[in-house]
Amino acid sequence: MLLASLVLLPFLGSVLAALMPQDARNRESWLAIGVAVGGLAIAAALFPQVAAGEVVRAEFAWLPAEGLDFVLRVDGLAWVFSMLVLAIGLLVVLYARYYMSPEDPVPRFFAFLLAFMGSMLGVVLSGNLVQLVVFWELTSLTSFLLIGYWHHRADARRGARMAFTVTATGGLCLMAGVLVLGHIVGSYDLDVVLAAGDQIRDHELYLPALVLVALGALTKSAQFPFHFWLPHAMAAPTPVSSYLHSATMVKAGVFLLVRLWPALAGTPEWTWIIGGAGVCTLLIGAFVAIFQHDLKGLLAYSTISHLGLITVLIGIGTPLAIVAAIFHILNHATFKASLFMAAGIIDHETGTRDLRVLRGLRHKLPITATLAIVASAAMAGVPLLNGFLSKEMFFAETLHVGGDRNWWMSYAAVAMGMFSVAYSLRFISVFFGTPAQGLPRDPHEPPRWMRFPVELLVLACLVVGVAPGVSIEPLLHLAVVATLGEDAPAYDLAVWHGFNLPLLMSVCALVGGMLLYGVLRRHFDLARRERVPLLHRLNGAQAYETTMLQLTRGAEWLLRRVGTRRLQPQLMLMMLALLLIPLLLAGAPPAWTVIPVRGFDPIFAGMWLIGAGCALAAAWMAKYHRLAALALVGGTGIVTAATFLWLSAPDLALTQLMVETVTTVLILLGLRWLPPRIESIAGPVQPPWQVWTRRTRDLALAVGGGLALAALTHAVLVHPASDTIADFFLLNALGGGGGSNVVNVLLVDFRSFDTLGEITVLAVVALTVYALLRRFRPAPESAGIPPQQRFEGDPASRQSPAEQAGSGYLLVPGIYLRLLLPFMGVIAVYFFMRGHNLPGGGFVAGLIFAVAILVQYMLAGTVWVESRLNLRPHRWLGFGLLLACTTGLGAWWFGHPFLTTHTAHVEWPLVGELHLPSAFVFDLGVFAVVVGTTMLMLVALAHQSLRAHRHPGEDLTADGQGGAEGRRI
Amino acid sequence: MSGAESLPWWAAIPVALLLVLGGIVTLVGTLGLARLQSFYQRIHGPAISIALGAGCILLASMLYFTVMQSRLVIHELLISVFVLMTAPVVSMLIMRAAVYRDLRAAREMDPGNDAGNS
Repeated sequence: MLLASLVLLPFLGSVLAALMPQDARNRESWLAIGVAVGGLAIAAALFPQVAAGEVVRAEFAWLPAEGLDFVLRVDGLAWVFSMLVLAIGLLVVLYARYYMSPEDPVPRFFAFLLAFMGSMLGVVLSGNLVQLVVFWELTSLTSFLLIGYWHHRADARRGARMAFTVTATGGLCLMAGVLVLGHIVGSYDLDVVLAAGDQIRDHELYLPALVLVALGALTKSAQFPFHFWLPHAMAAPTPVSSYLHSATMVKAGVFLLVRLWPALAGTPEWTWIIGGAGVCTLLIGAFVAIFQHDLKGLLAYSTISHLGLITVLIGIGTPLAIVAAIFHILNHATFKASLFMAAGIIDHETGTRDLRVLRGLRHKLPITATLAIVASAAMAGVPLLNGFLSKEMFFAETLHVGGDRNWWMSYAAVAMGMFSVAYSLRFISVFFGTPAQGLPRDPHEPPRWMRFPVELLVLACLVVGVAPGVSIEPLLHLAVVATLGEDAPAYDLAVWHGFNLPLLMSVCALVGGMLLYGVLRRHFDLARRERVPLLHRLNGAQAYETTMLQLTRGAEWLLRRVGTRRLQPQLMLMMLALLLIPLLLAGAPPAWTVIPVRGFDPIFAGMWLIGAGCALAAAWMAKYHRLAALALVGGTGIVTAATFLWLSAPDLALTQLMVETVTTVLILLGLRWLPPRIESIAGPVQPPWQVWTRRTRDLALAVGGGLALAALTHAVLVHPASDTIADFFLLNALGGGGGSNVVNVLLVDFRSFDTLGEITVLAVVALTVYALLRRFRPAPESAGIPPQQRFEGDPASRQSPAEQAGSGYLLVPGIYLRLLLPFMGVIAVYFFMRGHNLPGGGFVAGLIFAVAILVQYMLAGTVWVESRLNLRPHRWLGFGLLLACTTGLGAWWFGHPFLTTHTAHVEWPLVGELHLPSAFVFDLGVFAVVVGTTMLMLVALAHQSLRAHRHPGEDLTADGQGGAEGRRI
Repeated sequence: MSGAESLPWWAAIPVALLLVLGGIVTLVGTLGLARLQSFYQRIHGPAISIALGAGCILLASMLYFTVMQSRLVIHELLISVFVLMTAPVVSMLIMRAAVYRDLRAAREMDPGNDAGNS
């Protein structure tokens, strides 16, 4: 439970932070500090167990059927990493309090930051690979949100998109890799996977698994060739850069590699893939960093280079190299976080980050300057600082690669050392020289507590650098033992090892770096160079943009080639599929047996004859007489409803009748937007033979489809009903569900989960229709007022709809229909109330209620109704869904499964005993959703006819209705 | 339909008369709809059917079920009210459409008046 709260706490804090007001900077900071301190306390409480070499686990059933559990697991490595995440998080939060300006919406910032903290802890503490990937993607998502925090800036949006695309794609590769690993081992549990190293390495799928996992790790840790996203991620606020993009998130990739080292490492493939990517990154990052003009850009490339260093160490893969890698992860987090914060202070105080402008800042910012110089020295690997120690271990490890003859790795290491000295010098050059004039702001020392995190981190650099044995050794030992187990090598963290090759390499790098910087400054115009020499063509960001562009183009091409906007081909393909696919799946239909007709009823047959006649006539009229066709379709619908009634399905009949009504109104509203018939080509023209063929084909297809469906229905009807669950429902409706109307009990009790899904779909459809109609603009020929309404011989053409209903030709119908409104309301309530026992229910009641409102719309027009009735269809939808879900969740409160119905018998003063099942409340939710859906769609359509009268540039008030119609529904 | 023979004669006679009357009125109305010349004449056919024909049949139904179930059955009153209210309104709307159609047809016959709104 302690473990679970460690991960949960930041997420809870995130929700709380999101709920605070815009300007609550101090409260947000206190909350975030509280979360970080709480996390640290929990981690500290776990320390005794972890220090004893125990693996603390907490398991929760997640998908037990699939063998997946939610496992949290702390060993030494995870513990050290969570301490890193929490401690740096604490400092960053403190720093961010002063960095963020009062105008920034801080709730969003702190909510995302805390969510990131939780996700990162999730990655570190996951004891299950699938779960690790989930948290992994969560860190990508929060990183995306944080980079895009200032979303009004184009570079922030672009950087956020790029970072997310790269890391999330990598995450998907990682997911695939994890699935392959799970397939090889037979479990996703981390302990099992780690113990099965030999099995994995011998498996034929080892290489794919390795490549996929490596893709995930390398994209996350910004390794070549995916390094380009990190510099663009610098558009984020500096606390974010300091926390996510130097200290923690980018370390997730190398963390994963260290974590899976026992399972995957030890093969030439591992060394080549991981080590190769690391070497390229190391050199490119360090070299490009020298030529940056942006303080944060320089630090970003330096981060890339240091991550490359760690990756190389992991790629080398000897136990000592892993020790060095973990050690450097910790060291780099310390000095780079402090450097980013220092860069943020400079940016904050001077208003610019341009290395070409900044000079002589040590006069104005003496303390910050000292801190930044010490941290850069650590970055450069100057002795007595922590960077020196891990860099020397790195040099020592590179000497082992390639044996005695092959020295290329060592050369690369020294070159990287020289570059890093050079860019560190470039970084601290801002503090020296004559003070710059004309900075955007006059710099002075930042507030005490803004500098405090930097001071603390620099102090850590110094302490670790001077006395590693007492400060960092115990922690490092924990992580190393957890990773390497009994292979843990003997290592010595002393500052002085005597004169040896690594020391020589360090001295070479320091001296060489200073010389290189001097030469570049003097002879290559370092301060003004726009391009990176040699490597400026290696533009990963450009390649990324090109790829994205190609993808979009490709998708457009594919859409053009295989897609269509015309309805006819789509319908034809659907009908063809409907006809052919069942044949392919089920084979030829069975032999046809003629069923003797029993109980022939001439009245029923006559009714059907009328219905079928209506349907055929509707098809006949559909081309030129749409209104007639619509009326005929309505006739078919009524016959269908009557059929249901005849066959003892009153619920269905009622619903069908209401659906028929609403649909007819819907199509009537839509008819107006269809293009009018072109009168000029009317008349008996002999169509060309292609047209004739096409029409014949379509007719055959339509007839075939209809016949096939009829045959299918017939086949279903004549087959004897096998063991269905219908009997169960019939038997249990009254006893189990407490209602004698089986249909309604089925809907709101037995299968209420289905119903919940259906009303959700309804709501989604309604919102989609609404959204589509908001952007709908009619074709030019139907945009104007239809000629029927423009006819001046009719007095009604000079009246608004409201006037027509109030004093015009609609006066009498108007009085009648307004009289009808309360009746219809009562009927809706009546059908709703009796739904559980007699035909009715929320669905029908909702439709009736919607029709009652619609009638008012049809009578007096949108403007009249909406100036009197404040309908909010969105709220009906939301309220309905909420009610249905809450009813379902209520069952949990009493310890029953979701959506269990409970029936209460309430004694009311006048009514007597009332039977009140909780399904009743659920049905109320259904009712509200149905009302909301119908209203939203029809009203959105109705608003179209108001909006369409406006032509571009037309005066709104000239329309007579324009003023009021601006209201949105 | 069972039980019709158990109806006492004093009730059976008015029920039968009302049913026959209603049937005849409805038939006449329907014939009118089919046979009369102009629209304005034809509209009277359904009006008669609805008002008088349906009224007779509903009265018969009330009487029959009241006697058969030995209690007052007056659901039909509600039906009558709604039918009597709906039918005229619907007739008005249909007639208004016809007037409108004739007006437009007249305007198209005489294009001189139509200059302003095409």
